[in-house]
Amino acid sequence: MAGQDAGLTGRQPGAVHGALAVLEEVARAGPGVTAQQVSAHLGLPRATTYRLLNLLVQDEYLVRLPDLAGFALGHKVALLAGLAGVSGPARASDQAAAAHPASASAPAEEPHEIVVELRARIRGGVHLASFRDGVLELVDVDPDFPLSDERRLLSDLSSSALGALLIAERRRDPKPFAARATDAAPGRGCFAAALRDPAGALVGGIALAVPAQRLAEPEALLELIEPERRRLEAVLR
Amino acid sequence: MTAENPPDRLVALGRAIARPPVVAGVERTSPMAGLERRTVGFVDVLAQSIGAVAPAAGTATVPALIAVQTGSGVLIAVALAWLLAICVGATLNQFALRLAAPGSLYTFTTKGLGSGAGFAAGSGLLVGYGFIAMFGVVGAGYFLQSFLGVLTGPWAAAPWVTAALLVGVGAVCFGVLRRGIRLSARVTLVIEFASLLVILTLLAIVLSRLSPAQLAAPLTAAPPAFGGVIAGTAVALTAFVGFESAASLGREAARPFLSVPRTIRWTVLGVGAVYLLSSYTQLAGAGAFGIGFDGGQAVARLASDTDVAAIGTVLDLGLAASFTACAIASLTALSRAVFTLGREGVLPRAVGRVEPLRKTPYRALALVVPVTVAVPLALHLAGWSPWQSLEFLIVVSAAGYLLAYVLATAALPAFLRRIGEASRRTDLVACVAAVGLTAVLVTYLAVSTASEPVAVAVVGGLAVLAALAYVYLRLARSRALARAGMFDHTTSSDLLGGS
Repeated sequence: MAGQDAGLTGRQPGAVHGALAVLEEVARAGPGVTAQQVSAHLGLPRATTYRLLNLLVQDEYLVRLPDLAGFALGHKVALLAGLAGVSGPARASDQAAAAHPASASAPAEEPHEIVVELRARIRGGVHLASFRDGVLELVDVDPDFPLSDERRLLSDLSSSALGALLIAERRRDPKPFAARATDAAPGRGCFAAALRDPAGALVGGIALAVPAQRLAEPEALLELIEPERRRLEAVLR
Repeated sequence: MTAENPPDRLVALGRAIARPPVVAGVERTSPMAGLERRTVGFVDVLAQSIGAVAPAAGTATVPALIAVQTGSGVLIAVALAWLLAICVGATLNQFALRLAAPGSLYTFTTKGLGSGAGFAAGSGLLVGYGFIAMFGVVGAGYFLQSFLGVLTGPWAAAPWVTAALLVGVGAVCFGVLRRGIRLSARVTLVIEFASLLVILTLLAIVLSRLSPAQLAAPLTAAPPAFGGVIAGTAVALTAFVGFESAASLGREAARPFLSVPRTIRWTVLGVGAVYLLSSYTQLAGAGAFGIGFDGGQAVARLASDTDVAAIGTVLDLGLAASFTACAIASLTALSRAVFTLGREGVLPRAVGRVEPLRKTPYRALALVVPVTVAVPLALHLAGWSPWQSLEFLIVVSAAGYLLAYVLATAALPAFLRRIGEASRRTDLVACVAAVGLTAVLVTYLAVSTASEPVAVAVVGGLAVLAALAYVYLRLARSRALARAGMFDHTTSSDLLGGS
């Protein structure tokens, strides 16, 4: 049980690497991964793995699930956002952005300008999302209309119009738009229009936060944003 | 920027932070909801264990009790008990690293060996904590009375004063406990360190007045008989019990998987060192001054024989405080165990309620505190002297504790196998602890049969009661038993992206 003290000394550099590797493995394998699986995947000795896992649980970077065998990422992992956020290019779009250092940290400049124009024209929130790799990611959230529940939007696809677009795509039943009432805010709703590349694959979505009664005529909403939608498709391809 | 970049292998972590995964099987609230959660700091958790052990009270009384069993083997017995306690602590820590359970050893055992063994461990734990709390109440009353006697003269020795003091100590305990865990922990810690300081000062004074030959005498004593040493070890181990009680704050502690194991480890190590030192000093001092080791007054008599009688009087107050702290800490752990049983439905559900504002299990407290006062009061009315009561209570309590320790340590290998984290080292330590504890438990009961037949009979009676209760539960409330093993599991707010 050595090494449980909070102070990190230069004598234990391996422990830091080990801990990061364990965190990454839990993230990669997904919630419910067991100590034995982590040990096997990383090729770490079991005793070392148990000690690292228990250390990370002590510091709340990991949590044990109620069955006590499985692990999941804990709330403290959010503190590592900076560390993981610069952890190397993961996506094609990031690689393109990296080629232009000025725009590396912000969403690509062009789509942002289009979205700003759309926001100036429309009464309501306008958000831009990416569906690259088949996962929903918010690229450009309207600063004047914060999302009611961003976490839920990202984790529960059925809760939002953007998520509904992605679900339809996964079911091989592509839709040009989707609309949903917002559970968290009665009387409000969201509308999302698909952005597709020339091959027809779903790459992104524009979401509008509007009063629920406007969802009754989604075609009108689609019509309303059509110019900007086309321009976005053109820059995102 | 490029030079400081961490390796590419945090890709999955970055994605998880951007889009926290949905985790199945994690609820919004835990079965232990209502008690404060993750708020009690490390110092207060440490106070819980130290308070329950009551090293000041143990230091003053236990060497005398060990000497009854094993004359010259006191030091060996203390050292053996220390080693065994370290093994037990390490084993229980494997549980405490993994689950936050107000039911402590009861829940640990249930998780490893199922509800039957769990119920036995739970019964042992209730008896252990309950009788040690009574021990604390009686001890506090006894030393308070002694202190009052010095201050005011003979009227303080009247029987009604004893009864009033017992009720008064109980009322203080209830008030402090009801106010919340933080106050009880702080009070405990201050009391315990203050009284320990007084005792250590006194022992230092004694040591400073001894000649080299007198200092060497305890180490060169004739080798003791083996049976006596085991019996002495059993008694010495009773001075350690309570070190595990920090586990009962599993829900209430901030960062419980760090603070609880650390508390258990530090408490065992620190308390053992103090016991060894004080036993040695008392042996050397008693030998030098020709004081007999009886009546638990060795420390006080050392005080008067070394011309520091004033310290002896202060010591009475310190010991009274230490015993009170012991009662408070034991009642804390006891009430959490009762609370857990209430939440599971093994005990009536009402005792699983908490006071909403103070977040303390007041129903459980309202049940256990009166009992804790009533039993000592009954013993007093039956004409027992406080010292007789203490000897009786500690035997019953130790039997309960030791049973819970045996079962919980034996449960560890099964538990670790179930979650796929078994290792040879933990198995070995758990095995040593379980076997050693079993030997100690059997020896202790055998020895006590001669010296405390009433206590052993009470232990037997309680065992029969527990067995009957278990049969009743199996027949009438099997669903509650199936729920046994509730603990403060991870809730959605603990997860990355949780709210």
